[in-house]
Amino acid sequence: MFHIRNAIQMLGTRVPQNQRLIHTTSIYQKSQSGRYRITPKRDFPLTYEMANAPHYIMQRKSWNSWNTSNVLGGPRPSETAVEDMFIRKFVTGTWHSLFVSEIIIKRQHNLIRIAGIIRQAISARKMYFLIGYTEELLSFWLQCPVKLELQTVADKRDVIFKYI
Amino acid sequence: MSAITRLRGKTLNTIKNSTALISNRSFSEETEFRVLNLRTVKSQAPVRRKINKPDVLPPRSNQMPVDQDWGSVWPGQRTFHPATVPLPVRQGYTEKNAPPPSKFGNAELMKIPNFLHLTPPVIKKQCEALKQFCTPWPKGLETDEKCNKHFEIEVASSNYCYSSPSIRDPLARIVTLQIKLSSLPLDDHARDKFRRIVGDRYNEENDIVTIVADRCPLRQQNYDYAMYLLTAVFHESLRFEEWEKTKSEIDMEFYDWNVSKSKSSIESIFGKPAEEIVKADVYSKAVGALMNEGENEYTLAKYGESVREMLQLPAL
Repeated sequence: MFHIRNAIQMLGTRVPQNQRLIHTTSIYQKSQSGRYRITPKRDFPLTYEMANAPHYIMQRKSWNSWNTSNVLGGPRPSETAVEDMFIRKFVTGTWHSLFVSEIIIKRQHNLIRIAGIIRQAISARKMYFLIGYTEELLSFWLQCPVKLELQTVADKRDVIFKYI
Repeated sequence: MSAITRLRGKTLNTIKNSTALISNRSFSEETEFRVLNLRTVKSQAPVRRKINKPDVLPPRSNQMPVDQDWGSVWPGQRTFHPATVPLPVRQGYTEKNAPPPSKFGNAELMKIPNFLHLTPPVIKKQCEALKQFCTPWPKGLETDEKCNKHFEIEVASSNYCYSSPSIRDPLARIVTLQIKLSSLPLDDHARDKFRRIVGDRYNEENDIVTIVADRCPLRQQNYDYAMYLLTAVFHESLRFEEWEKTKSEIDMEFYDWNVSKSKSSIESIFGKPAEEIVKADVYSKAVGALMNEGENEYTLAKYGESVREMLQLPAL
C-alpha cells in the first residue's frame, strides 16, 4: 500500500489531475479458491459440491450454472453471469438459511430453472408462498419465466458428504 | 313472501356466523406469521417457540404401480426429483469402495439434464398426435435429382437457439443462395459474361454459383437482395454492350483457334480457307491444347506431329 501511495504521488506531479492511472483487481488465488482447509477437530461439514475442488468440474461434479452464453460466439455472457449472481443473492436472502445445497441455475431458451435442496424447516404453506414470491419477482425483474424446482431434506446433515 | 324473506335472512345469518367462526378460528390458529408487538407488557411471558417438524409425506415413488403411465407422471422437462422417479439411481465419486451417494439429497442429479420426459412410448405418442398435421410428400419429387431439376435455386439460412431471453441472433440474417450455372438459359457470350461478373463466387468444380447476402439487418431483406442480385446479373449478362466488340485475343478466357492469329497465318501460307486444308483440324486441336493446357511434353510433341502432317513433312 505504501508503494502504491508513493507511486500515485510521483505520477500526480507529472500528469494532469483527475486521471486514475493505477488499476487494481482482486487476486486470482488459484490454489486457494473453492477449496477448504482441514480443521483441527475434523468437524467441518462439506457437501459433495464443496468436497470436490474446482478442477474436478466436469469430472466428478458439474457446473452450477447451465447456459449457452459461454459457448464460442454465444450471446450476452456478461449479462447472464450478472443475472445468475443476482438470482443467487436473491434466493439465498429470500430462503434465509434454508438452502443446504448450492443454487443451480439452468437456462433453456428464455426459461430459467432454479434448482436446489432446502431443509424441511418451514411449513408447506410458507414454502408455497416463498416459491410463488421468488418466481413472481424474479420473472418480473429478469423478464422471462422462472421456475423453482426444489427438493427437501429432513435434516441438513442429509446432504453432508464428509467432515474435514 | 314474508316467510321467504325471513328464511333468507336466517340463512344469511347462519352463513355470516359460520364465516366469522371460520375466520376467527383461522386467526386464532394463525401463529405461523408473528405479529409485531411494539407495546411490550411486563406480564407478557416470553413465548417459547415450539419446534414442531412439519408433516412430510413419504416419497411418492413408494406408492407407484408398476404399470403406470409414466408420460403423465413426468410430462415435461423438469429437474430430477428423487421422490417422483422410482429408479434407484446414484451419482457421485467416492473413495474407499464406498457406494456413490444416493438419489436423496443429491445435487449432482439435479444439475444434469435428464430425458425422463422423452421415453420411447411418449415420443411415439407425440408422433401419433403430430401425424394429423402432416401432408404427404409431393409427387414427382421423390429423388434429389428431381428436386434439383424442379427447384434450381437453393436458399439457406440458419436459426440459432440459445438459452437466453433474446431469440435474436445477428448471424441469422445471412442468406446463402446457390444455383447451378447450367440451369440458367445462357448462351456462350452470356455465360462468359455471367462468370466474369460473379468472379470467384462461381465454383468450377461443381458448376455452382453462390451468392451470400449479409448486408441488411433482416433475413427477408437479405433474401430479397440476393434474388435481386441474381436477376440483375442474369439480365446484365444477356445484354451485349457496344464496348464488348473491342474484346481482343488477350481478353479471351480460353484460346479459340477459330479467331486466332494461327488460323489466319496458315490460311495465308496455303492460300485457301482453313476448312479446305488437309489435316488442319488436327493442327487446330493441337494448337488449342498447347495454348489452353500449357506447354508440356505431350502437347509439344502433338503440336510437332500435327505441323509435320499438315506441311506433309516426313516424321522424325
